Amino acid sequence: MQRAVSTFPLSSGVKLKLLSAGFRFAGDLQHVSPPKLSHEAGLSQQEALEALQVVTGGGAVASFTAMELLQMEAESRNIVTFSSQLDSALGGGVPVGKTTEICGTPGIGKTQLCLQLAVDVQVPPCFGGIEGHVIFVDTEGSFVLQRVIDIAAAAVTHCSLLAEDDEQRGAMATFTVETILSNIFLVRCHDYVELLAELHLLPDFLSDHPRTRLLVIDSVARPFRGFDDLSQRTRLLQGLAQQLVTLATRHDLAVVITNQMTTRVRGSQSQLVPALGESWGHASTIRLLLQWSGSRRLATVVKSPRHMDATVQYQISTDGFRDADQSDER
Amino acid sequence: MSRGHCGHVFSVDMKLDDLELEPRITAAVRRARFSSVSEVFGVSVLDLQRFTGLSRADVQQLTAAAAASCRRRPPVPALLLHRGECGGLASGLRLAVGCPVLDELLRGGLPVGGVTELSGESGAGKTQLALQLCLSVQFPTQHGGLNSGAVYICTEDTFPMRRLRQLITEQPCLRTDVPPSLISSLRFTDHIYIEHAADLDSLSVCLSRRVPLLLARGLVRLVVVDSVAALFRAEFQADDWLQRNKQLLALAATLQQLSDEFNTPVLCINQVTDVFNSSDRLSPVMSQVSPALGLAWANQLMVRLMMLRLQGMVAQGDQSSALRRLEVVFAPHLDKDGRDAAVWREGVRGVCV
Repeated sequence: MQRAVSTFPLSSGVKLKLLSAGFRFAGDLQHVSPPKLSHEAGLSQQEALEALQVVTGGGAVASFTAMELLQMEAESRNIVTFSSQLDSALGGGVPVGKTTEICGTPGIGKTQLCLQLAVDVQVPPCFGGIEGHVIFVDTEGSFVLQRVIDIAAAAVTHCSLLAEDDEQRGAMATFTVETILSNIFLVRCHDYVELLAELHLLPDFLSDHPRTRLLVIDSVARPFRGFDDLSQRTRLLQGLAQQLVTLATRHDLAVVITNQMTTRVRGSQSQLVPALGESWGHASTIRLLLQWSGSRRLATVVKSPRHMDATVQYQISTDGFRDADQSDER
Repeated sequence: MSRGHCGHVFSVDMKLDDLELEPRITAAVRRARFSSVSEVFGVSVLDLQRFTGLSRADVQQLTAAAAASCRRRPPVPALLLHRGECGGLASGLRLAVGCPVLDELLRGGLPVGGVTELSGESGAGKTQLALQLCLSVQFPTQHGGLNSGAVYICTEDTFPMRRLRQLITEQPCLRTDVPPSLISSLRFTDHIYIEHAADLDSLSVCLSRRVPLLLARGLVRLVVVDSVAALFRAEFQADDWLQRNKQLLALAATLQQLSDEFNTPVLCINQVTDVFNSSDRLSPVMSQVSPALGLAWANQLMVRLMMLRLQGMVAQGDQSSALRRLEVVFAPHLDKDGRDAAVWREGVRGVCV
């Protein structure tokens, strides 16, 4: 408990009073009662109570040994993408408990991958899935039900063809297009205020729907493009990134967000880079870049804590996001 | 602490005074000169505490109430949408083109919530298709229409009135699926509102005043802009790209809002430019041309269609037409595909080769 009081998220006035009264480390506040603290540091009862909650309550959450973390990592689950090549490039799929960003030009398949994941997360455990629910935040209006039904129907057919034993056949009774649709919760946000508001309300939704394992925001870029005040935007995005990490870890969620591409001109050369600026690049644990190469679609893992950069080819078929056909590979 | 966004026409920024909060919280917020909900989300929780002098619990109450006021509806299961129990949101409604071949390609037609772009070289048949949609929108929904009129905003040429009249006369030829008595009962020209916008300022006036009025009164349920490229090409020099991008984003945002707010398809006609640099990873290499206005614009679209003029002619009765092709470049619900088409007296129709 040697964490300095100044590092806790307290308002500066409260911190100052605590410090000048000699409470410098979290340990100093251990076993101090609110009235006593209020008296000694000259805080109001309310302030003293909140300060104690933040300092003593906050310290207990964050400590794990590296061994425990390693075990948690080993138990961590992934959402398969239905493209075996992309799954292996990602080390098993899109990880639960982490944030993954998908970047790409319009039409490359960002939304398609999101919709695919929204279906895949619901695959029953006997087929290697995690049977979770989805909250899908649509900021672009690109959530088209017709397409979700295509992808869901293809996934159901795929699994029913794989069903061998009784358990799997039994699981198919509840893995239907209807149940898939009933487990996808859609929110439409029209601007950044609505998006930030929704993220404030999400913890309540997640407590009411504890089986939710995937949060999709498609896209983060749309509501934050065309901002006049760039420093304000950076600040808001930083807060957003933090909220996403908290949601991912606290509610055991895979957070998947999409981002647009933009042209950056450097000297006489222009190049395509993910939008929302340099610092946003740190927001997610994994960054996946989708791009064209001739008429082939390529997915590149550009940032990932455990894997080397890898590029795989994929296709968007009528059934959804899939490995490229063998015949297409050149 | 300004909102930062340009082109917000409809979204109402809730006033903090309207929230149901304890009077002392409202008073503290007012003292700190916060007036709208967006300002509350513009600063961190700690800053809110500092500015207002409120306790942590009070600030949490404030942000929770502010967030709840922004939420139009709680998360909806997709199954309810599928059953049509949440009108408006992600509805499967489509505006049909009026030709079975092309409507099959588009899975019913243009989506009602989103901006569709139709690009192509001059003479490819873009305006033809747009005019046809101005007529098909007037049919009842069982015939693929939306039972309302259209507003057609011209930025380049004058409105092709003569061609429209010809399309109306020939409508029974195109729409053999609709009873002739129904076609003759529709007074097509009365429900097409034509606007001319010669520059960006007049376009923005048109889109922020007259078009919302027409939409709100239910007089129209299709917005056509023919074309978006003309204005941006004429008004900006090459070095103004920052300003140009900002205007493009503002226009796209306005069109998207109109579409969302009134559940209305928006069709933007765009020109094409020659592709010089084919190593560009913007799009698959499929032709020598690509739509104008670049990535900033493309990022804002839901559906991108392209009309191409192909080599060769096709004949039908006493008419002949150059062969065309309607391509789906991207759309969240459509395969990358295309259909051959031709422009006849009665309109644009798919050609089965």
